[in-house]
Amino acid sequence: MSAIGEKSFVIFPLGARRFAFPADAVTELAKPDLLQVFPHRTKMLAGVLVRRGRIVPVLDIAQVLVGPDAPPRKFYLIVNRKRDQRSEWTAIPVTGECELANSELIARTSTMPQYASGFLSLGDEVVEVVALNAFDAFNDGLDNATGKLPSREARS
Amino acid sequence: MRSRQPSAPAPSAAREDVILFTVCGFRFAIAAHAVSEIRGPEGLQRFSLGTSYLRSTQVDFTVERNGTIYFVVDAARHFRLPPSKPTRLLMLQHTSAAIQVDSTDRMMEISVLHALPQAFTGDERNWYRGLAVIGGGVVPVVNQNAFLSKAEMAVLKAAVQRSRGAAAV
Repeated sequence: MSAIGEKSFVIFPLGARRFAFPADAVTELAKPDLLQVFPHRTKMLAGVLVRRGRIVPVLDIAQVLVGPDAPPRKFYLIVNRKRDQRSEWTAIPVTGECELANSELIARTSTMPQYASGFLSLGDEVVEVVALNAFDAFNDGLDNATGKLPSREARS
Repeated sequence: MRSRQPSAPAPSAAREDVILFTVCGFRFAIAAHAVSEIRGPEGLQRFSLGTSYLRSTQVDFTVERNGTIYFVVDAARHFRLPPSKPTRLLMLQHTSAAIQVDSTDRMMEISVLHALPQAFTGDERNWYRGLAVIGGGVVPVVNQNAFLSKAEMAVLKAAVQRSRGAAAV
């Protein structure tokens, strides 16, 4: 049972660091599947998977969260992403197995990266909760060379 | 973790004949009714817009067919792919455009056209009508109207008229 104010989160690894999604947004953890690619111009999209008859876009957020040296991704976390009052499955490549944790979501601070909607304090570890839609807003401004998001100031 | 059904638009289930073609190793499909003829590259005429403001056009050639001049779009350039070795021309219906592709494969029927996922936000939203799953592979079904916009077509036709006028003087 979770304490008042606590919610469930799926904690996922990207290399040496761990991040989180709200558990109610996560559909499944899938084994490596055949990544299919075709020409497109949307940065960070690695391709698509065919999953249970659906075509699922693969959003490789590791390049932004941990940089270009992220280790090979082993699994796909399938996240139900809401946008414009619709929702769509999105596959997030992760580097290891995930776990479920109950914790209070602590509001983001101004010094946190723009992709973080807040963070969890798990023992001596601070885990950023990732807001996928933040990557949409920054997609056009993603630096091709570094894979880094521009600052809010640079966007405005 | 429970499985939830997303409220993405349902795929279109209308059956449709498509022609499969290849550009730079990628497979694409185009509605069969959008293509009037598949032919070789014979008869291509070098074409230049000169000093027109449409410098980034994807058209280097024209081809004349039944008295009509078709503007030949390099599909590799259209899809921002490296230069390829086109061997076939897809002559489009209801427009004076042709597409230069590496090869054509076969005609087949698709039963489901999946909407392009919303995560795709770039030029591909205009390039493709949707995605088809063919033999386990995902194949984009191209939007035949995206190869040349009306504005591009008007500029290209004006350039041809200009060059004809200049030749007549």
